[in-house]
Amino acid sequence: MIQFHNVFLAYQKDATALQNISFSVAKGEFVFLTGPSGAGKTTLLRLIYGALNPSKGQVLIDGQNVSRLNKSQLPYLRRTIGVVFQDFKLLQNRTVFENVAVTLEVQGGGSRADIGKRVMHILRQMGMENKIHLTPQRLSGGEQQRVSLARALVNEPKILLADEPTGNLDDANKMQILNIFKEANVKGTTVVVATHDRRLIENAHYRIIRLLNGQLADNAESRNEDFQ
Amino acid sequence: MKTFNKKRATISAPGAQGRVRYFWGLALTNIRQNFFVNLVTIGTITLALLIVSLFLLVYVNLENAAENWSEKVQVTVYFDKELAPQEQTDLKNRIQDIQGTAKVYWVSRDDALKRFKGRLKGQETLLEGVRAEVLPASFEITLKKNNRNTLAVDTYIGKLKGIPGIGEIQYGEEWVRRFNTFLSFMRIVGGLLGVFLVLAVVFIVSNTIQLTVYARRDELEIMSLVGATRLFIKMPYLLEGLIQGIAGGILAILLLLSVHFLFLHNAGNFLTFNPVTSGLAFLPPEYIAGIITSGALLGFLGSLAALRRFINEITG
Repeated sequence: MIQFHNVFLAYQKDATALQNISFSVAKGEFVFLTGPSGAGKTTLLRLIYGALNPSKGQVLIDGQNVSRLNKSQLPYLRRTIGVVFQDFKLLQNRTVFENVAVTLEVQGGGSRADIGKRVMHILRQMGMENKIHLTPQRLSGGEQQRVSLARALVNEPKILLADEPTGNLDDANKMQILNIFKEANVKGTTVVVATHDRRLIENAHYRIIRLLNGQLADNAESRNEDFQ
Repeated sequence: MKTFNKKRATISAPGAQGRVRYFWGLALTNIRQNFFVNLVTIGTITLALLIVSLFLLVYVNLENAAENWSEKVQVTVYFDKELAPQEQTDLKNRIQDIQGTAKVYWVSRDDALKRFKGRLKGQETLLEGVRAEVLPASFEITLKKNNRNTLAVDTYIGKLKGIPGIGEIQYGEEWVRRFNTFLSFMRIVGGLLGVFLVLAVVFIVSNTIQLTVYARRDELEIMSLVGATRLFIKMPYLLEGLIQGIAGGILAILLLLSVHFLFLHNAGNFLTFNPVTSGLAFLPPEYIAGIITSGALLGFLGSLAALRRFINEITG
């Protein structure tokens, strides 16, 4: 589903963000991407949804070379990828409902009633059905994260990417978010979660890809049994 | 679902129609939600177009005045003696045959005296004892429109002098020359000024719109990240620019109209002529349509230029 072949990325000539990264994630797999701050986790995720292009090497999604996609093709790739951002990236002047509906609206599919039904369905799953009229400022961090997740999952994407999704959450909220990821994965979505939160990784038995200073660490691939 | 969608538009129907409605709805909501920024943009467009249209108004009126004045370019041929009717008709026909003649009018000595009396109304006593023989008889000749410039008038006078029996010719030679020079000068200055104004307006408007787009770069980024095409992201903003431009154009015309009326009704107090009677015109309809269209274009192109930069930055 996701393949990295000898990927290098340099932001500037001298500073290399990623070096010779090669790995693949199979369809329907759940993977943790871990490593200390600044290791290149966010950069790697950005390569997957086409916000960055590699300086060298290839990133393939479903067999498609992301950097070969032109500007009009890229949106269609992004419709198959749900992204949960570290800072949520919610629209402050829109309600919870509108923030989630935006994913379906930009795809132009479905009538108003259809969009409403799907948005309400996912918000109910997130336990946010009573807060649809609120704007993000009036929500707690955990609630905002759930709205962000609802937005990423509402169109049932093939791939779900999450960047430090539990960064500012308490343990109860962390587990709730992790369970949502697991549920999505069970339904067939390929999940990549970038995190340096040990507790999160310890609570799930999934493959771990470890980054260190922009490179895959020596013990790059492991399962959480080895991690402890 | 209606209650959720009170504030913002949502796609109400699949397909193109639903999208068009969605874009318009979004554009209008954007204007409502960012009212102040929109007010600033509309204000800028209004002011810019007001300057351009004020200039156009002055230009149109000067052209009108020029048109009226040029009708006064008239050649007069004076005769010391009264002409016999046959002689008069012959001369009139020969003048009429010269290329460029519009009208030839015979003013007899009696007619001349009548006119003179008319001008001295109230002081007729001054003319007591003055007889018609004191005044000369004359032909008053008006020229066709494209024969009123300096060169054509000179050629015309040459031909007129060639007619045997013609009297003393008088025409506003220097006046005609100055007037024509003034007209050409005005057209050049007006054209240049117009070009500079339009450039300044485009610059100001695209910068103002860039500010409004910049204020919403988060929204643009999120739309792009959830898979919106570039056109989909741009459309509501382009429509917003279009609405701003049209609103600015209409406001500029309304302001100009009020300035025009204020001037018409108050200028008489401090000007030597009365603008109401002197026929000061407002812009013709095609100019008004042009200004509103320019407003729409300004808003649209300004948004397009502003968006191009940010969309490239955001969509990578």
